[in-house]
Amino acid sequence: MLTKTVIDHLRQKVGAENVYQDREDLLVYGYDATPEIQGLPDVAVFPDNVDGAKAALSICREEGLAVTTRGAATGLSGGSIPIAGGMVLGLTRMNRILEIDEENLTATAEAGVITVDLFNAVAARGLFYPPDPGSQNVSTLGGNVAENAGGLRGLKYGVTRNYVMALSGLLYDGTEFQTGGKCVKDVAGYSLRDLLIGSEGTLGIITGVTVRLISPPQDKRTLLAYFRDIRTAGEAVSRIIAARIIPATLEIMDRMTINCVEDYMKIGLPREMAALLLIEVDGHPAVVAEEAQGVRRILEEVRADEVHQAGNAAEAARLTAARRTALSAVARVSPTTILEDATVPRSRLAETFAEIERLKEKYQVRVATFGHAGDGNLHPTALADERNPQEIKNVHAFFSELYEKVLSMGGTVSGEHGIGIAKKSYLLRQFGEGGIGVMRRIKDAFDPGGRLNPGKIFIDSAPPSAVRIRGGQNV
Amino acid sequence: MSEPSPMGNFHPVDAPSYESILQCMRCGFCLAVCPTYALTNRERSSPRGRAALARAVAEGNLEFTPAVGEEAFFCLDCKACSTACPSGVRVGTIMEFCRSQEQAFHPPSLPAGVLRDFILKRMLPSPALMETSLLPLRLYQRLGLQWAVRRLGINRFLPDVLVKLEGLLPLLSRPLRLEIPTVIPAHGKRRGRVAFFLGCAMSLVFPEVSRQTARILSQQGFEVVTPREVKCCGAPHLAEGDRESARRLAAINLDLFLGADADVIVTDCAGCGCALKEYEELLEGKADHERLGRFRAKIRDISEFLAEAGIRTEELKPVPLTVTYHEPCHLVHGQGLSGPPRQVIGKIPGVELREMKESSWCCGMAGSFALKELETSRRLLERKLSHVKVAGADVLITANPGCHLQLVSGLRELGMKQPVLHIVELLGRSLPS
Repeated sequence: MLTKTVIDHLRQKVGAENVYQDREDLLVYGYDATPEIQGLPDVAVFPDNVDGAKAALSICREEGLAVTTRGAATGLSGGSIPIAGGMVLGLTRMNRILEIDEENLTATAEAGVITVDLFNAVAARGLFYPPDPGSQNVSTLGGNVAENAGGLRGLKYGVTRNYVMALSGLLYDGTEFQTGGKCVKDVAGYSLRDLLIGSEGTLGIITGVTVRLISPPQDKRTLLAYFRDIRTAGEAVSRIIAARIIPATLEIMDRMTINCVEDYMKIGLPREMAALLLIEVDGHPAVVAEEAQGVRRILEEVRADEVHQAGNAAEAARLTAARRTALSAVARVSPTTILEDATVPRSRLAETFAEIERLKEKYQVRVATFGHAGDGNLHPTALADERNPQEIKNVHAFFSELYEKVLSMGGTVSGEHGIGIAKKSYLLRQFGEGGIGVMRRIKDAFDPGGRLNPGKIFIDSAPPSAVRIRGGQNV
Repeated sequence: MSEPSPMGNFHPVDAPSYESILQCMRCGFCLAVCPTYALTNRERSSPRGRAALARAVAEGNLEFTPAVGEEAFFCLDCKACSTACPSGVRVGTIMEFCRSQEQAFHPPSLPAGVLRDFILKRMLPSPALMETSLLPLRLYQRLGLQWAVRRLGINRFLPDVLVKLEGLLPLLSRPLRLEIPTVIPAHGKRRGRVAFFLGCAMSLVFPEVSRQTARILSQQGFEVVTPREVKCCGAPHLAEGDRESARRLAAINLDLFLGADADVIVTDCAGCGCALKEYEELLEGKADHERLGRFRAKIRDISEFLAEAGIRTEELKPVPLTVTYHEPCHLVHGQGLSGPPRQVIGKIPGVELREMKESSWCCGMAGSFALKELETSRRLLERKLSHVKVAGADVLITANPGCHLQLVSGLRELGMKQPVLHIVELLGRSLPS
């Protein structure tokens, strides 16, 4: 509980309308999109400029408060949940696009700018910002950087990291940093920028971002294929990549997802099929035509059971409908949706699917899997009910064993969601004490007091005060 | 720790179901479409935040505090979040329940409560009483006072809410309910029998619109039966948190319209249509399941019905107009009807549809919201009208009386010339005389 003096001080520095301390407000700044976890901050502050953020941070230092930076709170690993209490520092009111530099092909924006707003603003100038996380209509640029968010276009265009040129922001001790710039080449010193990308708010508070822009593709071709055997789908993916074709989109859905979509949409999807691949190639029209033909040939060679190619935009929209609806269809089935992001080298896809099937049987859980096949980035999604402790236990056991397998194949415990709270133990398995120890020393160098987003990434730092509210959903 | 009871801190009567709240997975997709979140950037005024507050009350982590009640009423119930939600959560409906809870926990002060009870429990359920209570307003208009108030600016001295009310009120004529023939025969080759659900606002404020609806249905080959004993659909009661009265009215309408022996039940009011489609849920366990299902299967918005039945276009005359279409929340989000109104517009020869930006964003009327949250309502209306302006069409089309009033008042205030027409008025102009 903060004293009235502290609150008054905050109000005076940041503006009364930007400081919240009522329980009704604090409760709703205690979550993100990660299931089963709820925190409760002591205060939530929403500065509308960098000076406000600096002032708020300086009050945190005086009071020794923990700070959890928050964008749109759409994260799926708990990165923005204030499990140690303290201050939630919301950046959604710092949402100005500061510059679109057409000579250097960059855009500079405050951290709270919504991803799709930046996309649209640069598109209006004939430019393209490719990273498109599933939550792009609400997620913030700062959040994307902090989580190194991916998206559907990752395979061909890369993820957020590949577009960040410069970052500005604050360390807990008040140091203002500016790292990177508009230079295409820059090897001066350690790349602090690259350490901050994906640091989940544990190293610094990112308040400004400069991103790289490219030219948008001129043309696009969409194909959809169905497979009775998911291994054939896996083989198709491997062969497309081996043929040096890099589609913009190469998405997969398993039988359970197909059936969830069909239950919900009733658009006549073939329920008997084991997998669906959605493939989009884009770029120069001549290249697109050639690549589409190449993909088609491969699908025929591996004997895909059905292949559809869109002749126009309306048909393309119809073909992509199933994949676009996947999350909605799956999320409706049960109250609790646990969306994971196990990722493997793409040559091991078929094996991973087989393992998922085996483990579903073993643990008796309902899991629908869809995801970015071209990246080897899968979203096995458990359909559960958090009121059923046994079922939740089974789900966690299922994922635990799945991650064991994923790691044994050279995969990673997170392709694009981050570690946050939910995956701390998996991270330890992936890196071991040695690897975690190095990360720990980096963390200490940036934030020696451990006041920035405590309780995240590192398993040993979960504060005992994590249980902040009554009820069954605490950490 | 003991398991929290499903009700938690909710009052046992008319509480939202725990199931419906738990369905929210907090993905935040709703944040992009919520008008009150867009204005406030405050999580508790977002659908995800509101669902979380309801969940905290249900799980015993929060009392049903005045702030929870405030958020329930600050919600426009525009249901845009239902359209955006991947998991099918209906925060608008959860907030309707919370409005009932607010009445239980924090009943309105005496004079306000008496007025509310009079409106919800006596006036709205009785068409006759409602028609008489609007009589003084009609007299006031006839006496030309309205003109004087508007022209001379006397209303500047009235409290803001009266100014708003004054701006909303159109010239009232005789209620249609008393004038429309109970049965209108089908014209040409008969295609079926339609029961017309004539809503209160349509009958009282827009009788000419509903006259067109009946005329179109008949011209299109449908026999139109309009039961005189029709009651208010209950939408205002649900919106104000008086579910008990809503159920009473719904039960009467259910019997009345199932007795009308019609193939379908059509309404030209998006708000009524939305409420009628929810009777099944509202009366669950209180009326026969099979009858509720049968009733639900018959309900159609007029555009939905015309698009489905197919418009006979042979006799239609060209209407050389460019139009833009504002989607009523209760049509696009409440009933999921976005295509059919556009299909109807597309069938009218000579009409060119110019889409406006954010056509499915609330206009700020939202029932009584426009009178309670003047400033928020004004900002939403301005946002809407700025898009109308850019679209630059001759006519602004909509399909709901609330939106219609709000848009007319906003256009007048800004000195914009476009008339507002209900979609059936536009189609009506195309009909042979």
